[in-house]
Amino acid sequence: MSLSTTLNIAVQSLLANTGALQVTNNNIANANTAGYSRQTVILQEAAPATNGLGSGVVLEGYQSIRSEVLQRQIEQQTQEQSSADAQVTNLKQIQTVFTTSTVDIGTQMSALFTSISSLSTSPASSSLRQSVLTSGQNLVTAFHAASSSLTTQQAGLNTQVTQDVSEINALTEQIAALNPQLAALKRSGQDGGTLQDQQDQLVLSLSKLTNVSVSQTENGETITTGNGTALVVSGESFALKTTSGSDGMQHLVDQAGTDITASISGGDLGGTIQVRDQVIPGLLNQLDTLASQFASAMNAAQAEGFDENGAVGGDLFTVPATVTGSAADISMATTDVTAIAASSDGSAGSNGNLTNLSAVQTTKLPGGATPTDAYANLVYQMGSLTATATADSTATAASLEQLNDQRSSLSGVSIDEESVNLLRYQQAYEAAARVVTTINSLFDVTMSMGTNAAS
Amino acid sequence: MRVASSVADMQYAIQQSEQALSTALQQVSTSKRVNQLSDDPVASANMVRSLADSANVDRYTSNANTVLAKLQTADSALSSVVTSLNQAITLGTSGANSTMTDANRQAIATQVQGILTSVIAQANTSYQGTYVFAGSDSGTVPFTADTTNADGYVYNGNSAVNQVQVGDSISLATNVPGNQVFTAGANVIGSLANLVTALQSGTLTDIGVATTAVSTALNYVSQQRVPLGNAVSQLNSQETYLSQEKVTLTTQQTDLVGIDLATAATNLSEAETTHSAVLAAAAKVLPETLLDYLR
Repeated sequence: MSLSTTLNIAVQSLLANTGALQVTNNNIANANTAGYSRQTVILQEAAPATNGLGSGVVLEGYQSIRSEVLQRQIEQQTQEQSSADAQVTNLKQIQTVFTTSTVDIGTQMSALFTSISSLSTSPASSSLRQSVLTSGQNLVTAFHAASSSLTTQQAGLNTQVTQDVSEINALTEQIAALNPQLAALKRSGQDGGTLQDQQDQLVLSLSKLTNVSVSQTENGETITTGNGTALVVSGESFALKTTSGSDGMQHLVDQAGTDITASISGGDLGGTIQVRDQVIPGLLNQLDTLASQFASAMNAAQAEGFDENGAVGGDLFTVPATVTGSAADISMATTDVTAIAASSDGSAGSNGNLTNLSAVQTTKLPGGATPTDAYANLVYQMGSLTATATADSTATAASLEQLNDQRSSLSGVSIDEESVNLLRYQQAYEAAARVVTTINSLFDVTMSMGTNAAS
Repeated sequence: MRVASSVADMQYAIQQSEQALSTALQQVSTSKRVNQLSDDPVASANMVRSLADSANVDRYTSNANTVLAKLQTADSALSSVVTSLNQAITLGTSGANSTMTDANRQAIATQVQGILTSVIAQANTSYQGTYVFAGSDSGTVPFTADTTNADGYVYNGNSAVNQVQVGDSISLATNVPGNQVFTAGANVIGSLANLVTALQSGTLTDIGVATTAVSTALNYVSQQRVPLGNAVSQLNSQETYLSQEKVTLTTQQTDLVGIDLATAATNLSEAETTHSAVLAAAAKVLPETLLDYLR
């Protein structure tokens, strides 16, 4: 073996260790970069010389350490958590309306019955009659407040749907743009590295918005929504569109124009649609039913008696003919204190019919529960929905934390580890440099051999 | 397991313990375990029912107070009537005495007439602007003079009885109709009017009969007072029951959504300890790197 071959090995060693130092440097630089997968250098022995002696080192390339399975699990948990979080945020805002206060429906309903009961002790008192009307108006206001808070929230969610969809479209476009580059790298047997990290980050952001399924093809990642609507196929992305539906809400349509709103689940979009299309309409319907049936029951009780002028009792509340919108449109049918049908015999001082009005509180409505129970059920449902969503959010946060731990354990950068590598490669580099110096001095010796002989 | 960095774990742990600390703090400051519906949906729903029950107890109590005052007014009016009737009987008895001169009988007749007027005044007693003995027609003066009527007075009210709820299943009559007390049965007004007529006529047997009729009326009025007295004592015991019920409901509400201060304080100090432990651990672990030792 010649001196120049040895020098070659030393040069290879210098190059390889420089490459390794670059990787370490890059790892340290990205220690806090979200979605970064640490890279390692692949060093290989060079092909041996004929006599079996090794001939140095070759820097084969770089590799990112990542697990696709883990990445998919993280995406899955992320979409569940985003969905739960979207629900929690919205439900927490809604539930304040049903929280016991001085102005909630339950309290106002009790107040109405209290004023009716007080009137029974002195049926002709116009101040007590006025207090029944005032309590009735307060109850009407409470129904309005609850209903409008639900519809306002629903309108806000509707805007959120449009925003989410435009974010999804922006993300799928970026993901599709990366696909050809990644496919080319893979075909040439190279690691996706930084580009793959970028794409994973984009898919993770997409998972925060909706449930997607990802599959690998030789042309890059194919991404579809939960129900199979294609979003990204090789280098092409397919935008979701929103159109205004007959219910006044924004509906999602795919490329073919099919309405896929109901099949969207998971992510912020899934959670938002769930609250907008399921939870709020459900609560509104119960609220409307309560308002409508309560008003009818009170009006029926009124009709059984006589007002202060001796006429048959007229309506106390006005509600629309249909149940829908009752809570929003309920109103007092009268502002006349004499209109309260306290009397059962037509005389102004009789309180016989107030018993019928009071009995509405303890009589089951057509819905199968007393007004108080019906409202209590609503309160329970509201609390239960929020509590379930909160529990979901906490549980997925914990499992996401674990998955991220696993990912960090596999792909994360450890500063300590990189510090050790830095020392290791530095030492190897120094040693290789020493070899160069040594060979250099050997050359000097060889060169000066003739000179010495001549002198 | 390869641990790349404990920063994320530490952040999560700090968030968790901060959350626990904030919950504990809120419970101490509000003395409530349930601050929003989702904290305990079942308790929140039961709270709605319990508050409705409380409101009912409050209105039963307030009704009971009003009814009690009204019934006591009626009872004291009837008590005066009893006194008046006793006087009339004494006067009637002395008027039936054969030694009495006609002139004296006329004087007695005038006195009995006066008693009749005061009985009518009692029968027209009002409570807070409504007539107690007018049935449900409480805006009308119950008894007014009417010469066409044999008794000399006519009843303008009706015989309706107003019931007021003072418990979930207890309703009490708030009035006794005037015709039932004063003109039905042993006719109070009629018997006094007859006594006046008998005394004026001077016929001893008539005076005797009329006096007996007044004592029958006296017994009748006394009987009418019994249900009133019963109602008053029922109201008193109902008020006691309602005040106990109020305490029970308040306790129930505290149990549902409240938290006792000792538990809350213990929770808070527990959360504080955990939080400072987590922070201390983070402070110790996070700044450590190999680089510290490579100098």
